[in-house]
Amino acid sequence: MTRNFPIAKNLYSFFTETGALSRFAGRFFKELFSRPFEFREFLRQCYQMGNKSLLLVGVTGFILGLVFTLQSRPTLEEFGASSWIPNMISISIVREIGPVIIALICAGRIGSSIGAELGSMKVTEQIDAMEVSGTNPFKFLVVTRILAATLMLPLLILFGDFIALIGSALVENIKGQVSFTLYFNQVFDALGFRDLLPATGKSFFFGFAIGLVGCFKGYNSSKGTAGVGRASNSAVVYTSMLLFIIDFIAVFLTELIYGT
Amino acid sequence: MKNSNSENLKLGIFVILGIMIFVTAVYFIGNRQNLFGDNSVITSVFKDVNGLQPGNNVRFAGVNVGTVQKIRIINDTSIAVNMRINQNTMDLIRKNSLATISSDGLVGSMIVNLLPGENSSVPAMPVHPGDTIPSISKIATADMLTTLNTTNENAAHLTADLLKITNSINKGEGTIGVLIKDEEMANNFKKTIEGLRQATQNVSGMVNRVNSIIDEMSYKESVAGVLLSDTTAAKQIEGIISNLELSALQINNVTTNLEQFSYDIRSGEGTLNYILNNPGAVDQLDATLHNIEKATRKFDENMEALQHNILFRGYFKRQERIQATEEKKNNNK
Repeated sequence: MTRNFPIAKNLYSFFTETGALSRFAGRFFKELFSRPFEFREFLRQCYQMGNKSLLLVGVTGFILGLVFTLQSRPTLEEFGASSWIPNMISISIVREIGPVIIALICAGRIGSSIGAELGSMKVTEQIDAMEVSGTNPFKFLVVTRILAATLMLPLLILFGDFIALIGSALVENIKGQVSFTLYFNQVFDALGFRDLLPATGKSFFFGFAIGLVGCFKGYNSSKGTAGVGRASNSAVVYTSMLLFIIDFIAVFLTELIYGT
Repeated sequence: MKNSNSENLKLGIFVILGIMIFVTAVYFIGNRQNLFGDNSVITSVFKDVNGLQPGNNVRFAGVNVGTVQKIRIINDTSIAVNMRINQNTMDLIRKNSLATISSDGLVGSMIVNLLPGENSSVPAMPVHPGDTIPSISKIATADMLTTLNTTNENAAHLTADLLKITNSINKGEGTIGVLIKDEEMANNFKKTIEGLRQATQNVSGMVNRVNSIIDEMSYKESVAGVLLSDTTAAKQIEGIISNLELSALQINNVTTNLEQFSYDIRSGEGTLNYILNNPGAVDQLDATLHNIEKATRKFDENMEALQHNILFRGYFKRQERIQATEEKKNNNK
């Protein structure tokens, strides 16, 4: 029936996929709290996701702060509000731009690598082999990756925010004659818990979404080696979309909790 | 295994650094909001808080000393603002200190300013936790806008009047209009200015000439120079002045005597006064003199007749001879 109605087909596959993803997430939580814990693999994944992404996140964050300040400066100077640059940049970066940009970068790096890795393991039947050998592949491969992504992303985002603020302070120091001390004093004057805590909270969800979608796409890939590429690609696409949806919900909830 | 340990070490450093960044950020943000350390809460009651929110800064003499903790509406005209104040600065805030709400810059958020009490010569007791300090309401933005509105209306009236005046001036009406528009007046004015310029030039030339004359004058040889520098002349002048003074005194005496004399004449009963004050006496005197003249003439005729009389002829001839002898003697001498 759906063959004659492409929209219905797309809707059908969307709901089917969402349902499968929810079941996948449910299985993750079920496996998360059951023994045995694959701690060593978890640490390895943390290292792979955290340490190995730090350079990318650092460079991205630094350039982000640098460019953002350089671009904002002329407009704010026109209004005679250049002294507000630290306030504006810090709030923008900590609340929104830092978490979203760094999560998107990580979706590209971590999500695609998880999708590709698990996808290739799936098509080469390594996952089946693990099951035969008595190892729970879901616990070993999926739980550790999702958990590592969930815990590493907030740290990466904190690093990214900090480096972005350093980049911004550098521009202010060179162009605006603002000392680092004054810059960070203004930053902490402007920032409140309502900026830092919701942003840190939602970054856990960003990490969870990256790990979950990456694992889901890789774990369920099929159709040979072509499926590996598709798994990797769709992991990034779906994760990016999901990140914005999570961000919208997070902002909405923050507004509800803290008010305008 | 060795590789795994190295990875774990790097991971540990990464995680600890990340957590440190988070904790540091939380500490600094919390410190700004006075969440850590010793704090005390004091209260002030306002009529209007102008959009003040919990978390806004509390400043004492421009220094952040705390934050707004809580805002409660007590009734329709009273709003209590609880302020969390750093314990170190509590001693500086007195019981008569005044709290006022203002804006942190033109577009900044609201802040509570704590001002020293008005009667600062007698320092009041420091506040204690839980105390309520008085508040004053500064002029709010709405009040400012109302005032500005009135000012704008006045400015509109003024500009309308100015427009009328400038129109009149443009049409050449009124004194200023004539002054600006009338060409004849302009020409006259121009001529006047030209005349003034000429006069100024003349005066300037004159002053120059006077200057040159003064410069050319030998100071020492001039009268003024002698008067000012020669001591002998000065003594002579001094003598002259003293003589003048003496003369003036004598003149004064003479004048006084004359005054007395004239007074006596006017007031006394002497001949002169009689003559002066009685117009009839002058006629009589005139008649008398006339009679005397006539009598004298007749007497002269009588005497002439007497000389030719035979009885007295010898006497007169003898007298003539004696006179002629004396004249001869005088001529011989």
